[in-house]
Amino acid sequence: MRLAPLDWVAILASLALLVASSLFARTSREGELTVVVTGQETEWVYPLEEDREIAIPGPLGTTIVEIHDGHVHIASSPCPNQTCVAVAAINLPGQWVACLPNQVFVRIEGKTTDDSVDANVF
Amino acid sequence: MFSEPASGHARFKNKADITALLGAFCFFLSTIEYMIPKPLPFMRLGIANLPILLAVGLLPFKWYLLLALVKVVGMSVISGSLFSYIAIFSLAGTLIAAVAMWIAHRLGGRLITSVGVSIAGAITSNLVQIIIARVIVFGDAATLIAPLFIGMGLITGTALGLFAEKFTLSSRWFAAAREASRE
Repeated sequence: MRLAPLDWVAILASLALLVASSLFARTSREGELTVVVTGQETEWVYPLEEDREIAIPGPLGTTIVEIHDGHVHIASSPCPNQTCVAVAAINLPGQWVACLPNQVFVRIEGKTTDDSVDANVF
Repeated sequence: MFSEPASGHARFKNKADITALLGAFCFFLSTIEYMIPKPLPFMRLGIANLPILLAVGLLPFKWYLLLALVKVVGMSVISGSLFSYIAIFSLAGTLIAAVAMWIAHRLGGRLITSVGVSIAGAITSNLVQIIIARVIVFGDAATLIAPLFIGMGLITGTALGLFAEKFTLSSRWFAAAREASRE
């Protein structure tokens, strides 16, 4: 069996898309790492270094996000499939955990430097 | 003793027959998909798409779309998400991917095999789901999901396409179904 020309086009186009999306999804790895939790309407930001439990309200109920020893995981969730609870804890920038049914998205980001200079004019 | 039917006529009466059988395969493969443990909980093998991939060169468009709908219902019933908003992801992903596969097959002609058609379907389905996740649920954060989903789509899409291509080239059952669907 041989692949046809358009098969290769499909493979190469997908690879290009993969590279482009990887570049697009890159987050800052500099500075102090933060945990960004996106709920239905609100976004919360916490330092990764401090242990804590966060209760996030969602359409199904409360999702508990736990930060412990520089790792983040979803400790409990009201969703039926419990996929988000089963995922391994995350600890590196760019990693994420999501709960689709309860609409909670947790990711780790490098600190964005808001106090930097936007532009210089002479 | 055993006698093989001489042609497809004895096995398939019409296109509805083929659609029903492939639809039943979708249900069966959805169950298998649901039972297989995955290294990542968000991972999908997409094996329930195999009947749709076979149908692209077999059924007229109307029956083909019906098969895609049967797959969505089957998958949603088995995963328990039929009446939740998760079903929107499944419905939109499957239907748009089915149309993309149909177009790839029709326009590609001899220049494309099941491998290319399968990749087109897998990537389209995952892209549609990323876009829906971005628009209605997670906003910008959904962009982070993209590399993983596209990478997985490429791998599983290629594997499924290779299997489908081998199957369509060697299966007598498929040859008989193709014969019957010509009428």
